Amino acid sequence: MRRHRRYAAVLAIATVLVAGCGRDTDGGQDEARSVAAGKAKGEITVWAMGTEGEKLSDFAKAFTAENPDAKVTVTAVPWDAAHQKIASAIAAKQTPDVSMLGTTWMGEFAKTGALDPTPTDLIRKDDFFPGAWATGVVGGTAYAVPWYVETRLIFYRKDLAQAAGITSPPKTWEELTAMARALKEKAGAESGLYLQPGGTGSWQSFLPFAWSNGAELTKDNKFTLDSAQMSEALQYYGSFFKEKLSTTTDLGVQGSLEQSFVTGKTGAFISGPWHIGLLSEQGGAGFTEKFGVVRMPTRKSSTSFIGGSNLAVFKDGHNRDGAWKFIEWLSRPEVQVRWYRTVTSLPAVQKSWDDPSLAGDPFLSEFGEQLKSAKAPPPITTWEQVASAVDAEIERVAKAGADSAAATKAMQERASSIGTGT
Amino acid sequence: MSTVDTRTAPRGRDRVARVVLYAILLTGLLVVVGPFLWMLLSSVKPEAEIRQATWLPRTWTLENYRDLFDRLDFPTFFVNSAIVALLVTAGNLAFCSLLGYALAKLAFPGRRAIFLLVLGTLMVPGMVTFVPQFVLVSNLGLTNTYAGLVLPFLAGPFGVFLMRQYLMSIPDDLIEAARVDGAGEWRIFLRIVLPLCRPALATLGILTFLASWNNFLWPLVVATTEDKYTLPVALALYSVGQNRIDFGLLLAGAVVVVVPALVVFLVLQRSFLRGIATTGLK
Amino acid sequence: MSRRALTGWAFAAPFMTLFAVFLALPVLASLVMSLTDLRSTDLRNPLAVNFVGVDNFVRLLSDELFLRSMVNTLVFVVVGVPLTTVFGLAAANALNSGLIRLRGLFRVGFYLPVVTSIVAIAVVWRLVLDPQSGLVNSLLGVVGVTGPDWLGSTSTALPALVVIAAWRNFGFLMVIFLAGLQTIPAELYEAATIDGAGRWAQFRHVTLPALRPTLLFGAVVTGIGYLQFFEEPLVMTRGGPLSSTLSVSYHVYNQFGFGNYGYAAAASYVLFVAVVALSVLQFRLLGERD
Repeated sequence: MRRHRRYAAVLAIATVLVAGCGRDTDGGQDEARSVAAGKAKGEITVWAMGTEGEKLSDFAKAFTAENPDAKVTVTAVPWDAAHQKIASAIAAKQTPDVSMLGTTWMGEFAKTGALDPTPTDLIRKDDFFPGAWATGVVGGTAYAVPWYVETRLIFYRKDLAQAAGITSPPKTWEELTAMARALKEKAGAESGLYLQPGGTGSWQSFLPFAWSNGAELTKDNKFTLDSAQMSEALQYYGSFFKEKLSTTTDLGVQGSLEQSFVTGKTGAFISGPWHIGLLSEQGGAGFTEKFGVVRMPTRKSSTSFIGGSNLAVFKDGHNRDGAWKFIEWLSRPEVQVRWYRTVTSLPAVQKSWDDPSLAGDPFLSEFGEQLKSAKAPPPITTWEQVASAVDAEIERVAKAGADSAAATKAMQERASSIGTGT
Repeated sequence: MSTVDTRTAPRGRDRVARVVLYAILLTGLLVVVGPFLWMLLSSVKPEAEIRQATWLPRTWTLENYRDLFDRLDFPTFFVNSAIVALLVTAGNLAFCSLLGYALAKLAFPGRRAIFLLVLGTLMVPGMVTFVPQFVLVSNLGLTNTYAGLVLPFLAGPFGVFLMRQYLMSIPDDLIEAARVDGAGEWRIFLRIVLPLCRPALATLGILTFLASWNNFLWPLVVATTEDKYTLPVALALYSVGQNRIDFGLLLAGAVVVVVPALVVFLVLQRSFLRGIATTGLK
Repeated sequence: MSRRALTGWAFAAPFMTLFAVFLALPVLASLVMSLTDLRSTDLRNPLAVNFVGVDNFVRLLSDELFLRSMVNTLVFVVVGVPLTTVFGLAAANALNSGLIRLRGLFRVGFYLPVVTSIVAIAVVWRLVLDPQSGLVNSLLGVVGVTGPDWLGSTSTALPALVVIAAWRNFGFLMVIFLAGLQTIPAELYEAATIDGAGRWAQFRHVTLPALRPTLLFGAVVTGIGYLQFFEEPLVMTRGGPLSSTLSVSYHVYNQFGFGNYGYAAAASYVLFVAVVALSVLQFRLLGERD
């Protein structure tokens, strides 16, 4: 066996040396297979990142109590290089049975052919937020199940806004601008609304404005980044920098966003649910009274970005049935609520949101409402690269005052030359 | 302790030079220790205070360290790191000094080619060989083993280059003298060359140990279960999240990683400044 | 085979065996990778990629970001390597001069940046370089100069990173140079003193020539490191503002992240050629014809 493997390695490299062989143009459509009935058996190996990885092992004991012949082995993986670890594991066919995957990685990993299609008779699409489910659907086939979700809202200093004469949270673009201006001019904030001035991930702050303005990223598998809606949204985004309502310093990379919000230097910003915890930790006692969250202002709609993590099963794993059964268990509404209470990541299953711990929370219920319509970029294999082109153009608009129409045109050109990877 | 400070100069000028030198070095020291000091001080602050980026803690707390040790199976990760770093260091000291000596002092066919090949490999960016290296190691059945963690680093081009350059600056006389006396090549290497190399070996030891001790990506990818994780991998587990960084854990972790590295540095540095006197290079 | 050859190869064999398997083979594979259109989506089935010859390299020539990153990296190396080497040499020489007590303290001190967490370094340097409250601009303010937004301006971000890198790495060179200084026989200095040479003359005519191989090593290794500089922009500026601190390694890192393995491998080998060229130059300058 050992000997064989060694030969295989040498052979593989030798073949690469001489091979001129082309790839199949057709990836070959996967068909989802059913999972056998009955309880889960055998060892199920799971990779999970960060806190999820830390807590899942204990949490899964309830699953093994129901399935005494199964054993769940969790390896916690640092977020820092999780993508690299999973890509390497796929290359070496050394994957676990189940892994947690970032929602924006789906297109890429599904295309490798390493993922097992979701048995939709076992796990039903309609149970989940539609935007979350869509992140796992590649070429019409679902390859993953949403585990937890997050979306982006506007965090604003309620106390400062009130002092500046803003009595109700902004509902439209005009009102958002007005609030930012009031926070700056009347409440002394340096940034009335801090927006990420380009740089990695700024597309996540920008796209909600574009989507709310009716823009689409692709149509019929072609990019439509230079649409009028897109350019108008970018102009709006850029207006905050042009009117000096947002600093052009990246507060995120500096790690100083929270403090500047606590001290009132920043009056409002866009972020996800993790900031509720961060701010209450860093703002000290009573700070949760001073800020509020509000959904994305409505233009044609109020549409935010949906993120989070999915769970997927690998074909090179050894316990397919057990793996899917474990994921099915994790997707049950009551288990999702318990998981939320364990690690505070928001349930991807809609029904879980009826639970009072979520529905009764003034911050979270706002997130829950936004999640119903929140969207993710299309799961194309080249998304990360396209996103970085979008980030670069946002930076040009924010920092160099570039024209928004020219910037969206440049986005479109870059994206088209990168392609959708199909 | 010092044996090389035999340079002498007129006394008066010495005093001025000394004062100026101290002034420069002390200023330099201040500039250099700043971030390290901040790292130490911040690791005993609560998270919110770290974010305020002040120097002295208002509230002193060991919470970050407690958190770290409570959440991580510390002894396992420490032992893994130590095993890997020590093996890698030992391997490099042995293999690189052998080849370095051969390249510097032995004339043999292929010497130049070997040197260029090894040097060339040193210049290939590590990122590009990462995936092929991993596929190779996994095809050899070495994922999740100590062998997989150690073998690819056991013979590093950096060490060969360092040892060769160092040995080139050592005069040939001693080696020639021993050869004339009829000593075998192995005897010469062990009895004369290695003792002469103490400063270089200590330096190589420090640098190799440090690189291996801090290595993150390779152990992360090769180890597929947590019981094979090394310290830097384990420390990254909970400090960097998908959307947030826990600075307290991160800095406490950084302090914990740095202590053994500093101990190794201190021990090895002391050893090499004594090296010359005993070898009779003078 | 002659005895001499046999001895040489016997000394080389252990290293070369490990080297051939664990380094040379992957290097070879990556070289092949650079001639294909391998993407991360092909990882499970890498033999099914297309052989594209030098296409990747041709594409690099019209990749604006790549060209930009080449220029940035070049500036970084041309300024950074001499700066770091001079600092490292000065520190080593000062600590070896016999004028100083507490050498152990200084040695550890100067080495600290090498082992300090890059995150802590980033935070503190950002504090120091803060346009309003930073130490640097405060000092400039004292003499009536309004300092720039060091990390936020396209013209000063790269120079700032060069200084930070030199600050961070000179301790590494100091350690290497200190080891090299131990090989210089004391009688050389004695002889020079008898000839009436001052400290500077001793440094120029005794220390420098004797230290040449070590100096060459230090410069080449620093050059290799700086041509692949990456961590500083990653934690300090993320390559910005407006790509003014994007390095080749950072670009390559991004390309690997995007899954463009073949393309990234090609970019790596362009970097490799640059490293080789720089090293050849350094070998020439520092006197070894090899």
